[in-house]
Amino acid sequence: MCLCLTECFEYFSNVEMAAQLNLSGHPDSGLPSLTDQSMSSRTSNRSLRVAEKERRKNEAEDPSVLALQYFYNVEAGTPVSGNDEVERNLVLVEQVAYRNGLSPEAISIMLEFAMSLRMGHSLCPRVLKCLIPVTVVPQEAVVRGVSWLGVGKIPVSTQVLFIKWVLTVFDMIDAKDQLRAIYGFIFSFVSEENLCPFICHLLYLLTSKQIVRVFRVRKLLELQSKLGRQPFLLNLLSLYKVFCPELVTFSIPSQSKSVFKNHNMPWKSALFAVQKRNGSQVASSISLASASKDGTNRRKRKRHHLEIPVLRSVVNKEPQTETRRRLVPLVQIQSVAELLENMDHIELPAQMGSLLGSSLALQYLDCVQDESALLRLNFWLGYALHEELLFCGDGASQNSEESLQFLNKLLSTQHFLQEGFSSSEAFLYKFLNVWDGSLLRPQILGLLSNIPVIPSSQIERLLFKPLMQLFFTSSVFFKCGLIECLNNMLLKWLIWHSVYALEDDLDISRNSHTSINMTLSGFKDSVMGLVDFVGRLASSGLQLEGCHSLLLSFILDFYTMVCDTFLKYGLPLVVMPPPGVFYPALFATDPVSVDRLAFIMYRYKVNLTSAKIQEKLTDQAFHISRQTFHEFNNYTVYMVNCLWNSKMFQPGMGVQLGEELLLKSNVPQYWTSFDLVHHPAFMSYAIDFHQKCWPGKKDIDLDSIKHSKPWSWYLEYLFSQGYDGLALFVQSNIRARQGNGQQGDSLST
Amino acid sequence: MEQHHNSETRTPLNSVAVQRRSKTKSYRLSYRSGIGAASRLGFTPGLTARRLNTSRKAPKSNNITEKVTKEQLALLVKTEWKLSYVTPLYQFRHTQLKSYSRQLSAFIAAEKQQGLAVDVEGTQNRFRVSFSLVQEMTESVDDAVTVFIQIHSKPLIVRQDEPQRPVWSGWLTCINGNLEYLRSLPKDFICLPLFCSSEAGGLTSVVKSWFQQSFDCCFGPLEISHTSLQWLMALWTNCHPESSIRQLKMIWTLPVEPQLQVTYTVNAEDAWQLWSSVRKENTAAAGEENSIDIEEVTSFMQGLKGHFFRHFRLDLSAGRLDEVSTALGSAKHSGRIKFSNSKYMITTLMLLTECALLKMPI
Repeated sequence: MCLCLTECFEYFSNVEMAAQLNLSGHPDSGLPSLTDQSMSSRTSNRSLRVAEKERRKNEAEDPSVLALQYFYNVEAGTPVSGNDEVERNLVLVEQVAYRNGLSPEAISIMLEFAMSLRMGHSLCPRVLKCLIPVTVVPQEAVVRGVSWLGVGKIPVSTQVLFIKWVLTVFDMIDAKDQLRAIYGFIFSFVSEENLCPFICHLLYLLTSKQIVRVFRVRKLLELQSKLGRQPFLLNLLSLYKVFCPELVTFSIPSQSKSVFKNHNMPWKSALFAVQKRNGSQVASSISLASASKDGTNRRKRKRHHLEIPVLRSVVNKEPQTETRRRLVPLVQIQSVAELLENMDHIELPAQMGSLLGSSLALQYLDCVQDESALLRLNFWLGYALHEELLFCGDGASQNSEESLQFLNKLLSTQHFLQEGFSSSEAFLYKFLNVWDGSLLRPQILGLLSNIPVIPSSQIERLLFKPLMQLFFTSSVFFKCGLIECLNNMLLKWLIWHSVYALEDDLDISRNSHTSINMTLSGFKDSVMGLVDFVGRLASSGLQLEGCHSLLLSFILDFYTMVCDTFLKYGLPLVVMPPPGVFYPALFATDPVSVDRLAFIMYRYKVNLTSAKIQEKLTDQAFHISRQTFHEFNNYTVYMVNCLWNSKMFQPGMGVQLGEELLLKSNVPQYWTSFDLVHHPAFMSYAIDFHQKCWPGKKDIDLDSIKHSKPWSWYLEYLFSQGYDGLALFVQSNIRARQGNGQQGDSLST
Repeated sequence: MEQHHNSETRTPLNSVAVQRRSKTKSYRLSYRSGIGAASRLGFTPGLTARRLNTSRKAPKSNNITEKVTKEQLALLVKTEWKLSYVTPLYQFRHTQLKSYSRQLSAFIAAEKQQGLAVDVEGTQNRFRVSFSLVQEMTESVDDAVTVFIQIHSKPLIVRQDEPQRPVWSGWLTCINGNLEYLRSLPKDFICLPLFCSSEAGGLTSVVKSWFQQSFDCCFGPLEISHTSLQWLMALWTNCHPESSIRQLKMIWTLPVEPQLQVTYTVNAEDAWQLWSSVRKENTAAAGEENSIDIEEVTSFMQGLKGHFFRHFRLDLSAGRLDEVSTALGSAKHSGRIKFSNSKYMITTLMLLTECALLKMPI
């Protein structure tokens, strides 16, 4: 069989080679009539070749062409020793090779010359070493080279060199179909002890599912028992296992990194140099590390349960019926394109937990609608979390570096999928009750923020109770972290809602696959519960921490989102901040907080106004309670009175103090204490403004700013400092500009 | 062929249950799917925390010896088992045991010679694995049939008449598992939450990892909690009139420096008397139903502790119950159990199944 193959390829290749040589002389003549399959399979590379021919035509009568012709025509049995012609021509070819690389035809000619041993084997290694391709390597040449191996006259070292060369240029071979076709022929060389490692590597690169057969597995196992546990055999077998897990079983010791050695040393530097000189037209990498193994060396883990399983295909296959299409194991899929191609017949891996390690697999998971698959993943994930953080019997949390990495991986997965896993949710409900609030805080809070909407009947018990305890017993930084986490949680809930509202026209209950009827009002209840809860936490937190400005900033972040629920997320719900948040923000000593509060109040106004308009337009629109309007008006009036009108203590306002008490405090003009000039947050601006306005004045009289002209300048000055929130608030709430006597504009209910 | 052979094998695929599920929807389905149509990443966990039952039936000695063959029972008793919980097995088939035997033996061979590939079909394997079913050891129709696994090792020098000796055995079981839980699982899953293994030569971890890779399940250690140990004491003592417990032995650890271990042995008759004294009031209230209540167990324990305190001025409540044993069996806090009498095995296994299900992550 082997001889027959050889002859066959010899025939085709000779014809083609001759045709190509002719072509170089007559570039306009059409393709040779013998356009066999191999030619058509290389069409993609034709343009490269045409360009190559052009180039060669321009170098008219290049001596290297003559040299090649010499090697093409040289008679078998021509002596080598003392043959100056060979030496001269070979040097010429070598010069071209090491400078520019050899064209595909030149490679074919030289390889054929070397492997056919027309001038004995002494020149072989030298010729092989100079086979530096400039563009591609013709597949036929390689096939012919392999076929010469079967003739059996080539010294073993040269055979090895040849296979090494094939491995080096493997990515540059223009097609692989014929090489795959002679897989069996190549396989027969594994018995040659010296060739075996390299043949295994070559087979590894050529293997596809169809050629994995029991007799080949047997042969490799037999070799293994003879040669011992050789990495090259294992690598090939592991690939066989990927394709046919039922045929081969083994386990790889965790410390061994299973990649093939690089054999490309003789050519590496020359190839790089040539590619660099040619502006690396061929972008192929010559990295020979087998692609299927990730480079990360798995270090031995002490605690088994956090180890993410290896992506493997299923061994116990269901007996496949004829009608069902063949399934492609996920482990065989290497790119998004392949994923899309096989989308509807992908076989899930043996252990769903392995998906966590692969972004490609996660992309598939994102689309998969398989209940069992998700359940398997959740069982594994829940198990890992429970064992690591809840049941940890032996030496808990000493190994937090691993837990940290695991949780980070989980978080990035959830981030990628944009939602949380239900098992991590279930875990959190339990874990919050025993958490000390510091162990892996960022990660736990991150997971927490991915929790989906909880029915308002459960939210208190599952979430609020444990969180409340943690909040009041932890540092200010935990408080900030928790508020941020709840902020993210609310954001995700609102985004889910807005996506859903767009899809299903606001009627959540209509969804047929809803388990527990989460109606719009149910959802609103949950959101309201969450907002109220943060309000409670924030009020007490600010009190406990003495209005810590960092905490206040996180709280204002939260309300910046809450005030826009209607316009931004389409949720017909407006919840005002509690007084415990409003007043500390208004009286804050930093201008940023006051400015942000002003912005929030402005957005509330915009939301409420448009809600009112919509309510008038459509009958079934939601109803905002009078209480909300009342609260909003109160706050706005108070804010305007305080900042603008210098009337801090009006009867019926939110903050009231007895007259005598105020007098006792000996604060002169106490009612002006928190106007825009005297407010501790803005005082420095007022003084700065005063100095700029009246540079000569020695004694500073801030009240003089309140006159009509300087007042408007002062406002302009303040707004120019970037206090846009304040500017918006003033623009929207203060109507007529008449000196100091403006009124707050309130919304009617 | 194999299918036909095992036609009587019951793999509860609860197809009826699944239909029911799709109508009412189990509590595990996501609320999220109601909020976002696109989100399908799983099930909302049981929002109601499962707890250990507070009342259970008194052990009956009748059934098991009639149903299960003597040979199989002999394999289960008189061995100390290490307990683990197992998450539901994905696509486990009670009809594929032969093929599992082959795969597991190849897997063990491969693990024993790391870095050496093994022929699955090969017969030259040193380990022979056999999977078998323990038919009829169930309490409810939803319980999956117990699977017993034995691994034999061929000695290197084989004599013709010498039988292969088992080097490892273990079994997966589910006795009277929580119906709501079992029925909420899709039909691809078989729930055998309790795994008992008898260790020799590090094979347990190999078997576990084969199960993990083949059925995508997870194994975790199962301890027998303080409460469960007390339950076992009560359940066993309750059997005394029918089958003598000979003595009731407890081992307590007291948190003092240096640690104090107390072995507290009670004469069988005394234990029975104490037990019947706490039972009396309740049996009247419970009527005919021969069930035991957690209150009875607690008062039984109080009685034992009180007695000890009167004699030694040492309150055992401060300590931890580590081990209990009677003639019917022994149990250790670390998760080891031994059945000495097969008659009352089922009750104990029901308790342990319950403990294992409590450990399920979802």
